Amino acid sequence: MTAQGFESAAARGPVRVSRELAPWLRILAVARRHAYVLYRSPHRLFDVTVWPIVDTVLFGSLGVYFVSQGGPGSPAQAGVAYLLSGIVLWHVVYQAQIAVSTGFMEETWSRNLLSLMVTPLRELELVAGIALFGLAKLVMGVGVVALAAFGLYAFDVTNLGLALLPVIAILLLNGWAIALFVVGLILRFGNGAEAFAWGIMFVIMPLGGVFYPVEALPAIVRPISALLPTTHAFAAGRDLIDGGPVPWGELALAAIGTVAVIAAALAFVAWMLRLFRRRGYVTRYS
Amino acid sequence: MSDVLRARGLLKTYRRGRAVDGVDLSVRRGERVALLGPNGAGKTTTLLMCLGVVEPDGGTVEIAGHRLPRGRSAAMAHVGFAAGYLPLPERLRVGEYLRMFGQLYGLADPETQALRGLERFGVADLVKAMGTELSSGQKTLIGIVKSTMHDPELLVLDEPTASLDPDVAMRVRTGLAALCEERGTALLVTSHNMVEVERIAERVVFLSAGRVVADGPPLEVAARFGRDDLEEVFLHLASERQASEHTEGLRP
Repeated sequence: MTAQGFESAAARGPVRVSRELAPWLRILAVARRHAYVLYRSPHRLFDVTVWPIVDTVLFGSLGVYFVSQGGPGSPAQAGVAYLLSGIVLWHVVYQAQIAVSTGFMEETWSRNLLSLMVTPLRELELVAGIALFGLAKLVMGVGVVALAAFGLYAFDVTNLGLALLPVIAILLLNGWAIALFVVGLILRFGNGAEAFAWGIMFVIMPLGGVFYPVEALPAIVRPISALLPTTHAFAAGRDLIDGGPVPWGELALAAIGTVAVIAAALAFVAWMLRLFRRRGYVTRYS
Repeated sequence: MSDVLRARGLLKTYRRGRAVDGVDLSVRRGERVALLGPNGAGKTTTLLMCLGVVEPDGGTVEIAGHRLPRGRSAAMAHVGFAAGYLPLPERLRVGEYLRMFGQLYGLADPETQALRGLERFGVADLVKAMGTELSSGQKTLIGIVKSTMHDPELLVLDEPTASLDPDVAMRVRTGLAALCEERGTALLVTSHNMVEVERIAERVVFLSAGRVVADGPPLEVAARFGRDDLEEVFLHLASERQASEHTEGLRP
């Protein structure tokens, strides 16, 4: 812009986008802010590069070892594919959850929450912006696992076909729902609740049927596992590995559970947000 | 002249007691108002309730015709807020930070408005600096640029010049005066610097123990307390507060 152009634009005062466009602009602004954070903190790439490779090697090698122990007709033959498809799909939940949780925590770490709360930005727009950028991280993280599984163990997840898409969508939504619970806990208990962001995934992982069906769990925790939508989504993934037809029953159970989990997560975070405003917890971050 | 901010009967109680006790606060369009009081008087809680960040236990807040909390998002498009204690987020350059907030305020031309704001406060050379490279005074200036780039109808500043040397503080006062003059922006400011308040504000509202104890032009308020200036009124209210805390056994 020329100096003259700048002066006349400045004299005119700010030009605003339309009311319809404003929420999208705010979501994009949040997403871009988090892109800068990742760009300037390369150590945060650990979550989407090193960790996925470590997981792939760990579970892939575990599978290969057990296969080598059984004979050619052993049921363990399918184990390596179950483990590798499990870890690829697990990273959909993990990356979706961790991107939104740490994205929100970034605003608390940088004491930016109060500044954001006195702009037109709505709470859902903040989460949407963080989740939007989180999708980019998710693609990176899951892409790394899928490539490592293919490169190191010749396991091609795309062979599972288009039926994998609803499984991925369900797991993505579950990752975001878990993140909303974590955000609610941070709003209520402050940064002390950060441990939940990582810890909760280690609770979900064994109970969520990532690598095995409900029947493999101790009887006492089976009812909890059966209630988790991820259990049915991962079961659907294993059905696809076995070459069976699209497991509509499992997918339907997973979808119904996901709707319930998202409704519960939204209600929980709204409740925690009300407490946050009522008790003036924002002063913790300013 | 119509009110850009109208708060009525604000109440807030925390576990340690009542922080705000029936505060009425209005700011007319283009008016410059200072909210004053000793520590613990309820200034920041009042400001945060007026901004919709803290939910009052009772009372109402209306900004530019938008009733909170329902109209918070629309109301905030007309408000700018900066505080001396708010840091700039790390890992962002000043230009990126201002662009982000410009977009949050719905600006189609955030870069132009950011440059205009930086020039108004004499810090255009900082546009490419990282937030972490700035002095505390520069951070405060950038915070004020952020809060004014959308030409708000109401600018709320909490201790804006607390960490500034006299030269930069004067630059802030001059920039704010120009903004208020050019754009008719109303100002609501808290400060412990009474000399500065006398220069900036045309009306002061004194809070003590969560209540409004005086409201009027600075000299009138001082005269009402039988004092020469606001500094003396402030010291009088602070000592009164201390005495009442002793009586109530709140202090050793």
